[in-house]
Amino acid sequence: MNYLIPLMVIIPILCALIVNVIGEKNRTTRLLSILVGIAIPVIALVAVPGVQYFGGHNPSLIGSMLPASLNGTLASMYNTGIVYVFSDFERIFIFIMGLVAFLAVLTYFTEKKEISGPYLYLIFMGLAAVTALMLSDDIFNMYVFFEITALAQVGIIIATNTDDNYEIALKYLIIGSIGGPMLLLGIGFILGTIGSLNITDIAYVINHNLVDPLSPGLVIGFVLILFGWFYVSGLPPFHTIKSAVYSKARPNGAAILQGFSVMCMLAFGIALIRIFHHMPYFNQLLVLFAIIAMVLSVSMAAMQWDFRRMIAFLAVGELGFVALGMGIGTELSLTAALFQATNEILISALLFIGFGTVYYLTKTSDTRKLGGLISVNSTMAIMVLLGGFAMAGVPPFNGFMSKLMLVQSAFDAGYPELALIAIFVSITIFFTFVKAFHTIYLQPRPKDLKFAHETIPKEALFAVGVLLVVCLILGLCPWIVTNVFSSFVGGLI
Amino acid sequence: MIEYVIIIIAVFSAIIALLQEDLLKAAILTGISGVCIAVLYEILLAPDVALTQAIVGAAITPIFIALAIQKTKRTDD
Amino acid sequence: MVVMDVQLASLFCAGALVIIGLFAVIFIDNIIKKIIGIAFIEEGANLFLIALGYKAGGVVPIFMPGMNASWFAANSAYPLPQALVLTSIVIGASTLAVMLALAMVLYRKHGSLSAREIMGDEE
Repeated sequence: MNYLIPLMVIIPILCALIVNVIGEKNRTTRLLSILVGIAIPVIALVAVPGVQYFGGHNPSLIGSMLPASLNGTLASMYNTGIVYVFSDFERIFIFIMGLVAFLAVLTYFTEKKEISGPYLYLIFMGLAAVTALMLSDDIFNMYVFFEITALAQVGIIIATNTDDNYEIALKYLIIGSIGGPMLLLGIGFILGTIGSLNITDIAYVINHNLVDPLSPGLVIGFVLILFGWFYVSGLPPFHTIKSAVYSKARPNGAAILQGFSVMCMLAFGIALIRIFHHMPYFNQLLVLFAIIAMVLSVSMAAMQWDFRRMIAFLAVGELGFVALGMGIGTELSLTAALFQATNEILISALLFIGFGTVYYLTKTSDTRKLGGLISVNSTMAIMVLLGGFAMAGVPPFNGFMSKLMLVQSAFDAGYPELALIAIFVSITIFFTFVKAFHTIYLQPRPKDLKFAHETIPKEALFAVGVLLVVCLILGLCPWIVTNVFSSFVGGLI
Repeated sequence: MIEYVIIIIAVFSAIIALLQEDLLKAAILTGISGVCIAVLYEILLAPDVALTQAIVGAAITPIFIALAIQKTKRTDD
Repeated sequence: MVVMDVQLASLFCAGALVIIGLFAVIFIDNIIKKIIGIAFIEEGANLFLIALGYKAGGVVPIFMPGMNASWFAANSAYPLPQALVLTSIVIGASTLAVMLALAMVLYRKHGSLSAREIMGDEE
């Protein structure tokens, strides 16, 4: 038995419940949160790859106890319980998500003197939910944890004191209440056609032509789940609400929210690829929506005066690159998409926390009122600039490596126009970012700019520094993760 | 025969709930629709789900909506 | 006259509830009614799942002492959707509660339940 696999989900849930109860006791809460924040990445690093059968429903063990009439049939090899699979692929994402959550919790402690137990509860509950999403091989289990993630995301916005945060939260929930049941209906159609919820079983049945792969139930299920996936990952038509959600949260909250979105997108995206890769127009649909997401979000980012909205739109636009890689559908492009998703979690967290310090200093997010902040802390300014370069794809950072792989895969697959669009969008991201950086940090400081705080907290510097170092390591030695991804993708298609 | 009557009541009370001017009546009609679906679950051989649905759909949902209406506004105009 | 069986009628009922709910969420302006519509969508999705597992002339999938196991396996309804729906009902209720709480807060702030007035200035 490999107890560390379920513990990755149980520890954050337990921590969430305890922190919610003892939230008033400042020191204990801080200590516990930091301990758990360190524990998750460490567990992800040391856990042995394996499979966890909940309730002991291991088909190879209970197969001999089945009635004789079932022997040799499909039913005897179905997984009847929930199955969690942990491999090197899951290890990377859980490690990175745990790292980002740890750094976000750390910066949250410095932002406010009075910490709130419910806010930490939401962060840890969301962390547990996305970890379970990544591990789970059961599509209904994924739906349940996705709903928990969505509620946690809404809670994180509600717990933030910004203008209009309640409006955005309600809007996100209402849109989510269409997306969620559509996902559930799609799962229902798959269950009705195939009779199992386990993704491995579903993929086995479809790949061996035991059901008609184009039967109406599967096609309707595909459309509904694809719609749910667009909602999950903030692809059009949901890119506006997603970016509004990010811009309403605290910087650390936004960093975590983007991490949650990427994890949900990956978990459901991989399930979609494993189940529905044979569907006609599957790749074309994904590529189409990815391009719309990239172009729309980045052009909207270029028009923003509010730097938090700008980074939010850039973050959503970057998700388009992940979807593009999934849409092209070759081995190289899928590896690039997974690598891009890794980078996306890290770089967005870096930028949200880094630019968050600007809001911390001045309590304004309007770039027209800002300027000259490089004199406050030049180290932070340079680190944010490097993070922006990583996002736009400047060597030697990880964003460059993943985008290079993506462009290369588009050329290899015979879609040079997709490669051109990707390059063009990257250049736009670069200019948008440099313009914002220039107005915030370099141009002369306006006279009426007031400071709420004089200095940047050390923890924020530490968090951004750690993220930057990880970005640099992944940029210089990308094979640490790409080898794992390419072997994972090799088993996928 | 009773199942068809129940299905028709469930669908029509849902439609009528959305046409009400008075939101409290809409909340009660939501509850009626919830009860009908609970009975339908019993007919569809799911007694434990029927119990849950009877509590959630017939009591909790309308009461939550009614509480929200009490704190806000009763009419829809 | 062809009599529709219960399963098909329930599936139609589920479809009708989902469509009514979608209509309410998209076209009705009042937030409370939007939320009621969302409750209908969720009920429709749950009813769809339960109707999938129904077996005409079957028995309730609870194994009683004294039953023959293979007879039970051949005649009981499919219990997996029922387990799913139990979870799904609770998720729906909690989402509903959060949405209603938000509606109450927003009413205090804007003095109105109209979605256009509350969310119109965004985008």
